Amino acid sequence: MIGILLAKFKQFIRSPWTFVIFTGMSIVMALIFGGSTGPTNLKIPTYTEQGVDNSIKDILEVEETMEFSYMTEEEVRERVSTGKAELGVILKEDSYQLVVGVDSFNAGLVEQAIASAYMERNLEQQILEVSGLTSTTEQEAFIEDMKEELSSPVFDLDSKSFRGEGAFVYNSNLQHVFGFSLFFVIYTIAYNVLPILIEKRGGIWDRMILSPIKKWEMYVANLIYSFVTGYIQVVVTFLVFRYLVGIDFNGRFVETLLLLVPYVFAIVSLAILITAIAKTVQQFNAILPIVAVSMAMIGGAYWPIEIVYSEILLMIAKIDPLYYGMQMLTGATVYGHPFQEIFVPLSVLVLMGVVMTGIGIHLMERRHV
Amino acid sequence: MIELVNLTKEYKNVKAVKNLSMFIERGEIVGLLGPNGAGKSTAISMLSSLVEPTSGDVRFENSSIIKNPSKFRKIVGIVPQEIALYEDLTAEENLHFFGRIYHLRGAKLKQKVEEVLEQIGLSDRRKDVVKKFSGGMKRRLNIGVAMLHDPEMIIMDEPTVGIDPQSRNYILETVKRLNEERNMTVLYTSHYMEEVEFLCDRIYIMDKGDLIASGTKEEIKKILSSENTIAIKADRFNKEFLDALQNHPSVNRITIGEREVLIIVPRAVNMFSEVIKIAEEYGIELVSVDNKAPTLEDVFLHLTGRALRD
Ligand SMILES: Nc1ncnc2c1ncn2[C@@H]1O[C@H](COP(=O)(O)OP(=O)(O)OP(=O)(O)O)[C@@H](O)[C@H]1O
Ligand SMILES: [Mg+2]
Repeated sequence: MIGILLAKFKQFIRSPWTFVIFTGMSIVMALIFGGSTGPTNLKIPTYTEQGVDNSIKDILEVEETMEFSYMTEEEVRERVSTGKAELGVILKEDSYQLVVGVDSFNAGLVEQAIASAYMERNLEQQILEVSGLTSTTEQEAFIEDMKEELSSPVFDLDSKSFRGEGAFVYNSNLQHVFGFSLFFVIYTIAYNVLPILIEKRGGIWDRMILSPIKKWEMYVANLIYSFVTGYIQVVVTFLVFRYLVGIDFNGRFVETLLLLVPYVFAIVSLAILITAIAKTVQQFNAILPIVAVSMAMIGGAYWPIEIVYSEILLMIAKIDPLYYGMQMLTGATVYGHPFQEIFVPLSVLVLMGVVMTGIGIHLMERRHV
Repeated sequence: MIELVNLTKEYKNVKAVKNLSMFIERGEIVGLLGPNGAGKSTAISMLSSLVEPTSGDVRFENSSIIKNPSKFRKIVGIVPQEIALYEDLTAEENLHFFGRIYHLRGAKLKQKVEEVLEQIGLSDRRKDVVKKFSGGMKRRLNIGVAMLHDPEMIIMDEPTVGIDPQSRNYILETVKRLNEERNMTVLYTSHYMEEVEFLCDRIYIMDKGDLIASGTKEEIKKILSSENTIAIKADRFNKEFLDALQNHPSVNRITIGEREVLIIVPRAVNMFSEVIKIAEEYGIELVSVDNKAPTLEDVFLHLTGRALRD
């Protein structure tokens, strides 16, 4: 068995292209989609005149969909006139001015935000005047207290911006890292299981059968090899996003790496099943993308499963290993679920893996030799 | 040594092998000849316990290979019809891999790999990946892999398909040498009759799943017909001589060349003395009178009405 593994890894090093291409694809696709479809911030060049107090800036800072960057007045005007920015803002002591370019869709939105920031500031000042507190530290402490009180109000007023996210939590970055990793690793794994078919047709398998090596060693060696290469691919992808792109896996990076184990196992077994069903490499090449792409669409790799409402699709998703993979990973990170809740998709994956490996090997053995 | 008893293999819509019986003795080179689709590979797969026959049995040293294949597997080496090698590995790495799966290790493995590389003439190409080999070199390595564990018997399925004449001769010589030096038993499959004729002591001919002839070369050729072809050579012939031959009651057909005349006569007639007598009579100085041997190709043609190769 060690001999088979050695030969496999030697070949892997000679031509690692499948692996490299699909790892690269999952990284690139996650980067592209992660960057463009998520709620992006509106960058607003801003100039503050003398005497504008910092509480306005603080209030604006909290604004999630807008990012105010501070610079000189000339720079602000230049950015807008050259079209680098959609609009700019000049903050004055008691009023403000919008510098608006040719077509700005968001002018109203920004104006609203700034206006309410001034109003909030004025409100604070009035309250402070009434309170009669004089020292700055006392004033600040008072404002803090007040804000705290306000944030847990007696009446809960829920407000949503038009960019709001609806009822489910959606983390565009993690969604795409997970989605594309889980999708592209199907190909790497499948193409590492495919040699079984090629070796069977090409006579290498026959040679091994005639040798003293055991059948189970042949299968186990192939399983281990496909598992390891697949696992390395997802780990590499995750490492890139964790440490190079700097995506925080909500503090559960190690957990996600561990949760990949049952998923990769299930995909290896799926690949075995496909290999067992396909009679030729051509058939395999035809079946694989159909299976992989529909699994990705149904399982929520391209878009979050939460936006799917079709009962049928949701039912089909229940037999899709990728669905459970996404459930585990988003469950652990985005939702911060405890282990008990992740345990269900995890055991489904393990079960699927065992069943598909069993059927796959049985079919292979029945079809040939 | 090994015996096939009424082997039959049926696939969904073809009977690949029908009721095949044959035997191979220790130290023999036996040929299995047949055109494409004759069932040669299927027969070999059943013989080497890789495919289970629909019916019939393969017996090795008084036990069934089908029920208990391990004893036979240890002593047999298989050269598959396909190139069963790892294309991305070098010749040496391939030999190491296949040696390892036969539990060869360390110095023993190294020595066997050396020896095989030497035998197949690839010592100087050992570090090249198989992908870059010529067809002939791949074929040689394909054979080499089957010899790593010192098999007593080697089964070769068309080991010379699609390669240059030099490599082909090299392979044929290697097979012959293995047989002579090590008393290796060989089952050699081919659809080139001249290879089988060169190598084999005994021959089986298959067509469309049926065994259509078997025996030694001579025995098989005797099947051919009741006729003999005799080649008469001389520096010059004269009309009287040729007329006499043509009118001879035993001569069925005559083909006249400048220095050679071919006559076809019934096998039963001894034509040699007749020819010499006629030549003396008309003053012809003969160079030679030969029985022109029929080829296996002729036999196949005779038995099936088709040429061996299309
Ligand atoms: N696994 C299989 N399933 C179905 N039919 C098969 C299978 N293997 C062989 N056959 C059929 O059995 C017949 C004999 O095939 P086989 O490969 O034994 O011929 P062969 O004599 O080796 O021919 P070739 O010279 O082309 O190698 C063919 O008609 C072939 O199509
Ligand atoms: Mg064949």
